Amino acid sequence: MRQIRFPFVLWLFIVATLVNLFLQPDFLQPVTINSNLRVLLPLILVAVGQAIVILAGGIDISAGAIVSIVNAFLATRIGLNGDPGTATLMITLSLLAGMAVGAINGFFVASLRLQPIIMTYATSFLFGGLALLILPNPGGGMPSSFTKFYHDTMPLGVPLAFYVIALVMLAWYGLRQARYGRYLFAVGGKADAAFQTGVPVSLIQFSTYVISGLMAAFGGIALTLLTGSGNAQIGDSLTLSAITAVVIGGTALSGGTGGIGGAIIGAIVLGLFRNIVSFANIATWWQTFVNAAIIVLALAMPGLIRLLRRGNT
Amino acid sequence: MAIALSARNIVKRYGATVALADASLDIHTGEVLALIGANGSGKSTLSKIMNGVVVRDGGQLRLDDHVVQFASPYAAKRMGISTVFQELSLVPQMTVAENIWLTHEPLKRGGLIDKQTLRRKTEELLALFAGTFSTKLEPDTPVGPLPPDEKQIIEILKAISVEPRVLILDEATASLDNRQVQRLFELVTQWKLQGQAIVFVSHRMDEIFQIGDRYSVLRNGTSVGEGVLSDRTRNDLVALMVQGATAANVVARTRPTAAELAAQNVQVDVMDLQAAGVHGVTFQLHAGELLGLGGLRGQGQHQLLLAMFGALPYTGRITIDRAPGHFTHPRQAMQRRLALVPGERASEGLLLRRSILENFLIPSWRDFGFPLRMGKARAVASNMARSLSLKMGGIDDPVSSLSGGNAQKVVIGKWLLRDPHVLMLDDPTKGIDVGAKAEFYKLLARLCDEGKSVLLYSSDDEELIGLCDRVLVMHDGKIRVELAGAALTKSHLVAASLGATQEELV
Amino acid sequence: MKRIAISPPVAAVLLAIVLFVLSGLLPNGFGSDLAIARAQATNILRLAVFLGVVAAGQTLVIISGSEGIDLSAGAVVTLSAILTYSIVNGSNANVLPALLAALLAGGLIGLINGLGITFLAISPLVMTLGMAGVVSGLILIITQGNVGGAIAPIMTQVIARPVAGVPGAIPIWIAFGALMWLLLQRTSFGKHLFAIGTNRITARLSGVNVTAMATGTYAVAGMLAGLGGFMVVGNTGVVHIRIGDPFLFPSIAAVAVGGTLLTGGKGSYFGTMAGALVLTLLTSLLTTMQMPESVRRMVLGATLLIMISIYGRERRFRQ
Repeated sequence: MRQIRFPFVLWLFIVATLVNLFLQPDFLQPVTINSNLRVLLPLILVAVGQAIVILAGGIDISAGAIVSIVNAFLATRIGLNGDPGTATLMITLSLLAGMAVGAINGFFVASLRLQPIIMTYATSFLFGGLALLILPNPGGGMPSSFTKFYHDTMPLGVPLAFYVIALVMLAWYGLRQARYGRYLFAVGGKADAAFQTGVPVSLIQFSTYVISGLMAAFGGIALTLLTGSGNAQIGDSLTLSAITAVVIGGTALSGGTGGIGGAIIGAIVLGLFRNIVSFANIATWWQTFVNAAIIVLALAMPGLIRLLRRGNT
Repeated sequence: MAIALSARNIVKRYGATVALADASLDIHTGEVLALIGANGSGKSTLSKIMNGVVVRDGGQLRLDDHVVQFASPYAAKRMGISTVFQELSLVPQMTVAENIWLTHEPLKRGGLIDKQTLRRKTEELLALFAGTFSTKLEPDTPVGPLPPDEKQIIEILKAISVEPRVLILDEATASLDNRQVQRLFELVTQWKLQGQAIVFVSHRMDEIFQIGDRYSVLRNGTSVGEGVLSDRTRNDLVALMVQGATAANVVARTRPTAAELAAQNVQVDVMDLQAAGVHGVTFQLHAGELLGLGGLRGQGQHQLLLAMFGALPYTGRITIDRAPGHFTHPRQAMQRRLALVPGERASEGLLLRRSILENFLIPSWRDFGFPLRMGKARAVASNMARSLSLKMGGIDDPVSSLSGGNAQKVVIGKWLLRDPHVLMLDDPTKGIDVGAKAEFYKLLARLCDEGKSVLLYSSDDEELIGLCDRVLVMHDGKIRVELAGAALTKSHLVAASLGATQEELV
Repeated sequence: MKRIAISPPVAAVLLAIVLFVLSGLLPNGFGSDLAIARAQATNILRLAVFLGVVAAGQTLVIISGSEGIDLSAGAVVTLSAILTYSIVNGSNANVLPALLAALLAGGLIGLINGLGITFLAISPLVMTLGMAGVVSGLILIITQGNVGGAIAPIMTQVIARPVAGVPGAIPIWIAFGALMWLLLQRTSFGKHLFAIGTNRITARLSGVNVTAMATGTYAVAGMLAGLGGFMVVGNTGVVHIRIGDPFLFPSIAAVAVGGTLLTGGKGSYFGTMAGALVLTLLTSLLTTMQMPESVRRMVLGATLLIMISIYGRERRFRQ
């Protein structure tokens, strides 16, 4: 399974890149890459958190709402004229807030043993409401110097988002080499067996929601830096895109297989699809349909290939 | 010798059913204690209380004479209690090495897993069983697709990798072949000398007498005797286990002779059937015949029955009542009057959450019209429950409220309602108490007398001998030996299970 | 050893009654004026009908188990509402063809969902989410931003206008509820649905065609969402390209509040009806209290959380 599906997302990635390159000859220019990646970074970060939860057999429907909380929080506390000192403090606080909110999810799943999908769906209302409480109407924001920094910084000519992604990958690599990584796979693969072996199953489940909350907070920070403004519903749409990215990346929703590499590439592939649709001269009214149809086809492809193979033998 | 682990008056209830009423056990260092009892007597529950997986409702656990409470399996493991679980505790998606060392991976400085050491130590462990498994087992092989015996070996290696003081082997030999069992016993003897205390849970008498030093017998959740094995005979132990019901495996029925059977119609004719795990099986099943399938666990019996029932893709020819049948779905087999009582009662035979009524009627709802005539359905189900003397609260109670034997009656009853001509059963008496078994044997005998054909796979050799007209012994996906009449003996069955051929036996 | 247990649907009905009485006690509530209370009750029931019908398909899909869920329901409601609106185009004679078109379109989308889920093994969550995108895209293509048409007088008469003080939608819903009960409890389809929701292996080994059942269930769910769209537009009389969106998540919540197990195999449409009532009441209560959107969301989330905490727990690892 792993051997078939992981290359599949790479294959999608290559094809999508080639099509993009054909439509947009300057696609591989660092500036273009930078502008594409900075838009995608929030989705990538949320997808990474989601991938970890899914890997351990759960799902986090509230991740988008956590992004919204962080965006509302930063937009109101920093403001268009905020100074760097306050900003640093608030950004740190927002990370803690993301983890705290994730811990609420973790508590309900691990201690009360509620089904993750409906439970985090319920908390997505709680968190979404909280975001609206902080910022009832769109407004606030960040100083333009901040957004400019996020938009245009390219240390050594490489987009900032690359460094962020590299750091995330490095952290993941570390986790995988530690016992924690093994526990994730064990809990997602067969929770009963993991429990009998002595894996602290509830604790691991709890921790994945905290990580998802943290990654959603990072995503919220990136999104606020990208838009420079506040909107308490801005993150809502990220949840389902992130789950789609994870699935396209080859992580099964049933848990126990996959990784965050696939989720990152899956998120990038979703972005590339969107690019194709907007650059391919497709009539405006057709764009949503074409984009969605490509995604459904991408989801269907592994299954279709399997059906065809079975038909041949 | 010092007492390593002692369990005193353990009680465990699941809702209204009492799994353990009063179980006690002393395990000394440097000895093998055989924990024996009939199916459902509480052996596994007691093991799981000793290793922290199950919380006890009463009684006391003492480790080195200190009272201990295990908050989790991890706590028990930390104190040196390690278990080979009957249902295995392996994560299929993970590799051999990852599974064996889960929760106690060797670490480098900084908390990262030391992969070189992990690999080396895994290879050392695998070397203990070197030569007894067929495929090439590497530390990096994923566990999921491995055959049952290799999974079992990995489970054993996983348990001993923590260098435990107390090792619980719960049916650890169930999927092993003779060679592997002997290797395990050599190792157990070694570990014993190193001062380990070993609990050997099994229902295989030969093995118990071969490896055990002392015994402890459980009957219906109560400890009914312990002592030194060399003082006892096999019959002594059986008497303790089943309390005078030693003949439970035999049912009085007039077995048709070979000639009489041959005169009957061939109900099912299977020609060169091949499926995953089944490599060319040919046999005939006559009307009124009780045909047994034997052999070690996992030799293709399960897959053979599934394939015949249309639940597993197969090639080959199946003829039923002289008309060919090729089934791609159980529904088609059902329409040709075949029925299958699957091997896993809870996960394949029953809808646990649903009522007894609905469980009886799943295959039959289409016969009750639209809108479903519920009055008739209830009457039909109640009649069946009565004729099977089902012990239940009410027909609308969830089927999960029934005991193992009664639940199995529901699985059989759901097919009897459809009046099948051929009843196939996959190890149906697993986990059923002695009384229910006897009833069950009578039922099978009655069905045969009515002219129905029964194909019975059982992991219990005594059952096959006591019940069947003929027994086909499977080994490695093929029928190796057919035993009938005077040749149908325990020793022949065991020898055939281990791969002896027809010529060697007769 | 019989415990007195309140079944989830009954609990949801009780909660609905409590909420209704509570709304009467508010400063601007109906107080002791029974005529107003009646009018309000009627109004809430009428609003609950549309959510209730959309949630019917959701109930079936969730009962079918294996993480069953239909995230395309909202988009299907929109599509069928738009189809109805443009096909009817003000003429009574076109109502029946429009209804057929709505059911057919919904059924077709549901069928694609079902095929993707069963044959291509795509997880229901992602498959139906993807289809929601596809259907939204289709809507944009069809409408190009503006929808022409009108509903027919007969639809307003049947669905919205009161007969003997009761809008037609309510008796229609009751009849619909009875049909759903018949489908779930008195047909082999219903019995097989519960069977595949409880345990697909057992169901298959008992002769149930699990693949056909699961595929069919998604198709039926799509048709029911299509019916929901038809009724919604009959009530509102106008249509816009997001008309179905507000129904999607409440439809799942209504099923959960009604006590249908989200792992499948257990549940009822009566529960969903009660759940739809609870959610509609809660929304209207919060609106009457002039609560800001933020508080409304949080109260909805908390209610859902409490309801599932009461009956949605899973088994412990340690027994």
